[in-house]
Amino acid sequence: MTAVALSRSRPVPVLRIEIRRSVVLWAVPLLLALFYFDSFRTATGFPPVWTVRSSVITSHMIADFGPFAAGLAAWVASREGRRKIGDLVATTVRPAWARQASALGATLFWLLLAFLAGVAAIYIDTALSATWGGPPLWPVAVGVVELVTFAVIGFTAGALFPGRFTAPLAAIGTFLLAEIGFHGAESVRPGTSTYGLLSPATTVPLGDVGVFYRVAPDLAIAQVMFMGGVTIALLGLLTLAPVLRVSYRRPLSVVSSVGRWLCIAGVALLVAGVAAAATAFSLTGTARMGVSGWEISALHDAASDQPIPYTPDCAGNSFQVCVHPAFSGFLGSANAALQPVAAEIAGLPGAPVRAEQVPSGDGILGSQGMNFAGVPKPGLSGTPAVYRYISDDGLAPLWGSPAGVDNAGWRAGFQQEFLTAFVAGPPQTGPGPDAFVQAPTAAQQAVITALMTKVGSQPPGWGENTTNGAPTAGATPGQIAAAAQRFASLSPAARHAWLAANLPALRAGAITRAQLP
Amino acid sequence: MSGITRKFGRNVAVDAVTLDAGPGVLGLLGPNGAGKTSLLRMLATILPPSSGNLTLLDRDPRNPADRREIRRRLGYLPQHLGYYPSFTVVEFVEYFALLKEVPPHLVPKAVAAAVEKVDLGPKAKAKLRTLSGGMLRRVGIAQAIVNEPELLLFDEPTAGLDPEQRVAFRALIRDLGQSATVVVSTHLVEDVGAACTEVALMSNGKVVFRGTPEELTARGEAGQGVGDAPLERGYSAILAAARSAS
Repeated sequence: MTAVALSRSRPVPVLRIEIRRSVVLWAVPLLLALFYFDSFRTATGFPPVWTVRSSVITSHMIADFGPFAAGLAAWVASREGRRKIGDLVATTVRPAWARQASALGATLFWLLLAFLAGVAAIYIDTALSATWGGPPLWPVAVGVVELVTFAVIGFTAGALFPGRFTAPLAAIGTFLLAEIGFHGAESVRPGTSTYGLLSPATTVPLGDVGVFYRVAPDLAIAQVMFMGGVTIALLGLLTLAPVLRVSYRRPLSVVSSVGRWLCIAGVALLVAGVAAAATAFSLTGTARMGVSGWEISALHDAASDQPIPYTPDCAGNSFQVCVHPAFSGFLGSANAALQPVAAEIAGLPGAPVRAEQVPSGDGILGSQGMNFAGVPKPGLSGTPAVYRYISDDGLAPLWGSPAGVDNAGWRAGFQQEFLTAFVAGPPQTGPGPDAFVQAPTAAQQAVITALMTKVGSQPPGWGENTTNGAPTAGATPGQIAAAAQRFASLSPAARHAWLAANLPALRAGAITRAQLP
Repeated sequence: MSGITRKFGRNVAVDAVTLDAGPGVLGLLGPNGAGKTSLLRMLATILPPSSGNLTLLDRDPRNPADRREIRRRLGYLPQHLGYYPSFTVVEFVEYFALLKEVPPHLVPKAVAAAVEKVDLGPKAKAKLRTLSGGMLRRVGIAQAIVNEPELLLFDEPTAGLDPEQRVAFRALIRDLGQSATVVVSTHLVEDVGAACTEVALMSNGKVVFRGTPEELTARGEAGQGVGDAPLERGYSAILAAARSAS
């Protein structure tokens, strides 16, 4: 007989054997490819702002990893049935729940390792280019708990229905679940979308929440509580599985064979899990949007709603363009866009001396009916005048792949916003219940178009500002373009002089297109 | 065991069997469907009896603590051995040693000894999916003996083994029978003749003969059995008598 070289080796626990031979290892290359082409590329396409990039963890990575986690866990859980090894393991001392715990542990070990490696890749890339802040941990916690939940859903399905089709069905089922959650998150509204809010795809709003104000962990806590509850309830179900499977005919004998304490533990887990999930569901129903993202009053710490102090990054001398340090990478683009148009209006009454970024509270969040006292409003205000812009109007068009950005279009839009604030004043809302933001007058549009043309930008598309097909400014795009051309043909000094003399009347809408020189 | 019965619905697989066995090798003979596997599964604590008293290693398997202790001292090779193809021979045996709660510091030596006993040393690191049917059977035997059991249950252990391996296996169970109670379920009478110290012959769920292989042979010479070997003639004579009696 040949000696087996084992006598000197160390004892190996069951978990280590399971880890070494885990089926998840076979899926790792596919998981990595999915991660790279979906999650990683999406994350690196976003600006290097921690809260924005970390949203990919729960919105994309879970969609990539979750169905695999469920399918692989189901495959592992069903192996005793599929491999017809049930009789053999039933004669061993270690109970079924302990064997299952080892198998599930090994599956989770590799899945979580791959998942955390993906998170690390995104965070390392962000750390190399981020100019402000640090890595948020709540999205990682939510992602980890959700991945575990998906795996436990699959594992429970595999243990209760050990067939060869259980694994693919579990993967498809959880994929659909993730998609439903994703779509629920897209249309989430306070008080009406509890399911959507519980979906981990609902993260901080994509904008600058977490930059000017700390992100409240309220919703993340509720999501962790909900998914943790589901996981615990399923583990309770798994513990009770021998009772459920064997013995509707002879329940008492089965309870004795499974073990009284194990039964009690299973029931306790089931009840605790359902209670936690129900509590989280109920809490989430009270969520509302605030400056810190989604806030749940029972969990919210109002003291954390204070603005985060920061020193803006600025460029320019007589006219300064400033951005939050988290957006320093955009300072050059913003400065290059605003300086030429600022020079065109420099010295005019009410001309801004500075442009600065303010929180998007009235933008993304305001669109959901929220109004935040104390948050600076975008637009032109103060003496000397300061132009305030928000990320989603000023910088958001730059988000996405740099190669795919329409830089000229973004630049023109940013300039148009700036000049409109100066020439037309704050946006006017029309009358009636279906109020709409009124477009600048034809004369105002012509002046703005002329100034943009002079700095080499593409003229804005005023023709889009129509109501029921009729031009809201009382002129056709062609008439406005002709007036703009006439005004632009003046010498810079003449234009400046005319504006200095007529700006109040122009702002008040008292000057018609025909009155433009 | 005393008056052990096992029913599956209306079908009586094992019918009031009374049997006791001590150290040595007990051969469980019988045609297909005689109830051998059901009896063995009850001895392996997989299947509870529908009625009757079962005592294994002086313990009552209905009691969870006793059942745990019985399983600690039990080795079982089922008729159809399931296995995890990605495990190596050593890992598979090691896995079962751990499931049987062999003290962790003893596991490496126990696994090495079991693998060597079934002559699979050269294949110790081979994945199970690469092994032949006979080798897999030997892996199954290795996992059954890795905890040095006091009660060993083999269901058709020589199925798939070549003649040389079969001879080696018989020698192995004779050796194991020196210190443990070995129950071998088979329908191959030559296995019984070569390895067993006692024989129980089952038919229609009942034990219709209990004795030594020599006594079984003598029944064949006295009766009207058919077969090439004396043991086969004894086997068929008893079965014929049992059928005519029923």
